[in-house]
Amino acid sequence: MTALVGVAAWVPPGRVAIEEPAGRLGLSGMQVKIFRRYHRLGEVARDPDGELRDLLRAALERLDALRGREHLVRYVLHARTFPTVVPYPHDPVRQVCEEFGLGHAAVFAVGHHACASGLLALDAAGRLLAADGDPEGLALVLTGEKAFTAEARLVPDTSFFGEGAAACLVAAQGERDRLLAYATELRGDFDTDDPETALEFQRVYADELASAITAAVARAGLAMEDVGVILPHNVNRVAWHQVCRTLGYPRERVVLDNVATTGHVFCADSFVNYRTAQDRGLLRQGEPYVMAAAGAGRGATFSAMAFVH
Amino acid sequence: MTEQDTAASAVDPALRDRLVDSIRDLLPQVLKREVTGVTADTALMDALGLSSTTGLELVLELEERLELEISVEELGRDDFGTVGSLAEYVAGNLLTEA
Repeated sequence: MTALVGVAAWVPPGRVAIEEPAGRLGLSGMQVKIFRRYHRLGEVARDPDGELRDLLRAALERLDALRGREHLVRYVLHARTFPTVVPYPHDPVRQVCEEFGLGHAAVFAVGHHACASGLLALDAAGRLLAADGDPEGLALVLTGEKAFTAEARLVPDTSFFGEGAAACLVAAQGERDRLLAYATELRGDFDTDDPETALEFQRVYADELASAITAAVARAGLAMEDVGVILPHNVNRVAWHQVCRTLGYPRERVVLDNVATTGHVFCADSFVNYRTAQDRGLLRQGEPYVMAAAGAGRGATFSAMAFVH
Repeated sequence: MTEQDTAASAVDPALRDRLVDSIRDLLPQVLKREVTGVTADTALMDALGLSSTTGLELVLELEERLELEISVEELGRDDFGTVGSLAEYVAGNLLTEA
């Protein structure tokens, strides 16, 4: 069963108040007030002088588990919210792979699940390694993007994107952290500009995300009370409060620490929150936890993974 | 008994009625169209097409109009069921005296 050998994350120290991107995008004072009062957003992380390569490099520098094992890495997957993350013809993922001794690996992007693509990439990495049958083989899942276009700055009515990156070393099997189950629900019917469907998406959001979490937990043979913490995507606090109400799960056990200070770090949220949970001593040996994310754009994806630490 | 039942049972009916009136007055402004025949039982999302964002806008507009501060911490999807359920939530979650 797929295992996380090491998880590293990097959030640059730069911050801007949400009023800055809101002003550039022409949001009204009322919309900003809703983001602050209700969604509990405040600042987003920014690296104004850095490129995507700098974000990925900083995450990789912190991935101690990679040192000395570079030659074992067969695949490097960049999980993306957006299909295009840099202007053509730049290729920062391949560049950092060369820098970190991973030039031999097969490098490719994983998307189409929007902000839930990070979990999809973990699943894909584990499956590829399992199919290879090499017990020593490893894969590297990279996440992180630049908030470099209007679309990559704002999730309408939901959140602001923050910059950061994560690097996750994956093995086909291992002791920690073992992936127990993955559940994902694809809703292609939300791929429309129809306002009625947009309302329906809002209505089902919490229920669908809660349903993905309960499906992953049940497939792992667990109950929600067995789950020590949930490592969420950082869209906003209120969406997660609603998910917690639906699940009957205490909101204090969802790691929402970074929502107000980093914003929604694309596909890297769960990994950034993994580091926060580890720093706070919330990941305990032998205790299950859940990573969960929803992706919206052309269609919607609701995903969850149950792990044991 | 849930938290919401507790809050609802403590709500002053006169205050709730006043809030229903204020919500009815604000709906055309928030929805940016004419709205008629609204009662406490009117479904905000299903009948009037209120979205989560316009719903929040309605709550914040209500604060400004009535010069009240409302705790939005516990405000959930179910509170936006009808005009009456929203009035009940607001009446039970005021941070300042009405």
